[in-house]
Amino acid sequence: MEREVLEAELVLPTHMKFKKIQMYDKYPKGQARGRHWKHLKQIIQAENYENYPPHLPTYVNIETPPSMHPGKKICDITGFEAPYFDPRTKLRYANTEVFKTIRSLPNDYVQRYLALRNAAVVLR
Amino acid sequence: MPFISKIERQSDYGSFNSSHPIVIDNGASYFRIGWAGENEPRVIFRNIVQRPRHKTTGETVTVVGDHNPALLKYFDCTRSGPRSAFESNVVYQFEIMEYILDFGFDRLGADKSQFWSTYDNPVNCLDALSAEAYPSCSPLNQYLFKSVAGQIDHPILITECACNPVQSRGKMAELLFESYGVPSVAFGVDAAFSYKYNQQLGICNDTGLAITSGFTTSHVIPFINGEPVYEACCRTNVGGYHVTDYLKQLLSLKYPHHISKLTWERVEELKMEHCYIAADYASEVQLFQRGNKEAENKTRCWQLPWTPSPVEEPPSEEEIARKAALKEKQSQRLREMAEAKRSSKINELENELKGLEFLLEELKDIEGDDEIVSFLASRGYASKREAESAFAKVTQSLRKAKGEQVPSEEKVDISAAEKYYLIDIPDDELSAEQLKEKRRQVFLKSTTEARQRAKQRRLDEELEKEKEKKLEEQKRMYVVFLLRAKYKELSEKLEQRKRLKTNGNNANGNNNVSGGVGRGERLNAAQRERMRLLTTAAFDRGKGEDTFGQRDEDWQLYKLMSRDNDDDDDDKPDHDETELARISSRLREIDPTFFPGSESGASASEAPHFRPLTKEDFQIILGVERFRCPEVLFNPNFIGIDQSGLDEMVGVSLRRLPSWVQGLEDKMTSSILVTGGSSLYPGMGERLEAGIQMIRPCGTPIKVVRATDPIMDSWRGASVYAAAMQFPQQTFSRMDYYEKGEDWLRSYKFRYTI
Repeated sequence: MEREVLEAELVLPTHMKFKKIQMYDKYPKGQARGRHWKHLKQIIQAENYENYPPHLPTYVNIETPPSMHPGKKICDITGFEAPYFDPRTKLRYANTEVFKTIRSLPNDYVQRYLALRNAAVVLR
Repeated sequence: MPFISKIERQSDYGSFNSSHPIVIDNGASYFRIGWAGENEPRVIFRNIVQRPRHKTTGETVTVVGDHNPALLKYFDCTRSGPRSAFESNVVYQFEIMEYILDFGFDRLGADKSQFWSTYDNPVNCLDALSAEAYPSCSPLNQYLFKSVAGQIDHPILITECACNPVQSRGKMAELLFESYGVPSVAFGVDAAFSYKYNQQLGICNDTGLAITSGFTTSHVIPFINGEPVYEACCRTNVGGYHVTDYLKQLLSLKYPHHISKLTWERVEELKMEHCYIAADYASEVQLFQRGNKEAENKTRCWQLPWTPSPVEEPPSEEEIARKAALKEKQSQRLREMAEAKRSSKINELENELKGLEFLLEELKDIEGDDEIVSFLASRGYASKREAESAFAKVTQSLRKAKGEQVPSEEKVDISAAEKYYLIDIPDDELSAEQLKEKRRQVFLKSTTEARQRAKQRRLDEELEKEKEKKLEEQKRMYVVFLLRAKYKELSEKLEQRKRLKTNGNNANGNNNVSGGVGRGERLNAAQRERMRLLTTAAFDRGKGEDTFGQRDEDWQLYKLMSRDNDDDDDDKPDHDETELARISSRLREIDPTFFPGSESGASASEAPHFRPLTKEDFQIILGVERFRCPEVLFNPNFIGIDQSGLDEMVGVSLRRLPSWVQGLEDKMTSSILVTGGSSLYPGMGERLEAGIQMIRPCGTPIKVVRATDPIMDSWRGASVYAAAMQFPQQTFSRMDYYEKGEDWLRSYKFRYTI
């Protein structure tokens, strides 16, 4: 290791004197299920929130419902208010100049703009 | 820059009593750790872990938090980016959490406390001691043993999200108890600590709302008598992360050339520096759409490092003079050299001439052929004649070298009258001699004249040819022009047709993607006809009497329907295409500047290559983006999240409140605290106030205040809380953990009012 790296103590030591046990030793790789970390979706599923009484606040039921207002439609490129919609690229646009640009955009850019508002075509 | 990491190792770990709690604000973006009762956390760093490979040794190492980026040049970070223990606002990856806690405790000084020097080999002692043996020891011994046993012997107060799933909380307890051996743990919600802290400062009432917008989520939590009411709280999964990500994506789509400059850290800085929340998005955006002075003032520009390409300046007078002088000098030198060479040659030639003269002089004195021959042979000459010719030659070249005119039979231009002086004189005045001369002159004259005439004729012919050529060129140009026009027209036509065809094909190819043939796309005529036939065939069955097949022509339908049919006429090149090929070959023949296919757009596509990059090309302009990105907090549907924004969340939360308390809602809205990193945008309070006014009845008291320090307040609140006398009653001890297990944490309820 280089001197300046050591001086900055950039690298975390593998064993700490103040620890009783290292997780690495506690759950050796591939042996215990302890080192398999459930993702949030799995955690929520495992919690069985649907069995809880409905008035009890849980991670799931405190989520905000969808908005009551109609969503603002903004131009995907400029952010202006977008009265128009291009059926070919499925992008929203504000005026003719933007329309020109979106028609000349390569397809992957169109998809990336769509992905920004979660509207891209996902191939499965 | 509001966020600055503090990662210096603290040295006073040993001076804290073992009952002194450690307070950790475990935020999704920043990790803050410090001692209870203090006003500032001791250590702050970004809550990320990187596991790069060291370049020289090749080992994989763990790097926690944000360090001097210059030091990362020794590591290969291409395989692993920064990783977080969080998903949304819930800790799920406890291996990463462990690294982060390791680093946090290490920098707090747990590893290098002053007692370590006494025990060189603490591991052996650890084996001999059981953790439960402590109470029997004297206080001092206990203190020493604590260090020896290798554990963090301080109660921990750590923050978590509202309504954290028990699984996550249990794992955190397991990690803290089993790996670090902490005696007791308490879990609290960061927003609540922030609200409590500001309440103590008198900024908000004990009943009110906390709007907290963090890194990945935003919460609205109502407080009644200083206790959070989780039944009525609500969460939207939008936070500072989404704002930065949105800005980063938008900028990298807008400036694909500078994508390498748009790192996460840089964009985060841009966001903190320039983003603001518009009082009204629609009117603000209209300002930019009109593009007047006000919008210009609101536009920010980030100039990327740019060095102008060297411009070739016209040389100055001085330069020209200098160059000319240099040239002059050089030519002078050349001339001098030539002069020297000439003079030396002349010298040489003169010497030779003298020698030859002397030789010839001598030769005159010698008599007798034999002697002459032998004398000459001794001087290298075969005969006297040769010597003489050599003499003549040398004289000649000497003259030449000296620049004298070498006499030669040059034509002396004598006027015709002088030349042919005898022609005009009648014959009888001439003598026989003169007559002869005259005849000769006449002959000469006529031949020269004839020669001149021939010359003239040739000249004329050449001129004629030139003219013809010019005409032909004109004609050719005209033809080229016509052909080019035709070529362009034809190629455009073909292009159009191809486009139509590919569109149609695309639509067909997209079948499995978008679900329907040609949705939103045009088909060409043949394909349309085919589609029509197919649909009628598909849906007309069973309607009325089925007479299909009674006539032979019916079966022709299948031929039309089959795909080969329209593929067929795709295969053979049609009339236009052959015509185009013919024209292009003809053009290539007669027009050397013609390149097929490069007709249109050539100038447009080549122009940027030759345009030198200017300062403007290295500018990143932030206009609408400045308020478009933070707007996602109020309109999550901008980034495709179907939830309410901050202002609507207040309404949702108020609706969820128990309805039996009179005037509770008004009480709530008159004490709204905004906290969390995303509340730092200018205009946040005003926008929230306006938004809440819209959803509340007219005349509702609304007061929106920002926390004193939206980022640090939750740690400070927690620190104050942990320092209180009653704090130990709120903790969950290791004994409880071993006896009751993780599941007991489900009913764990933290009280904030003590």
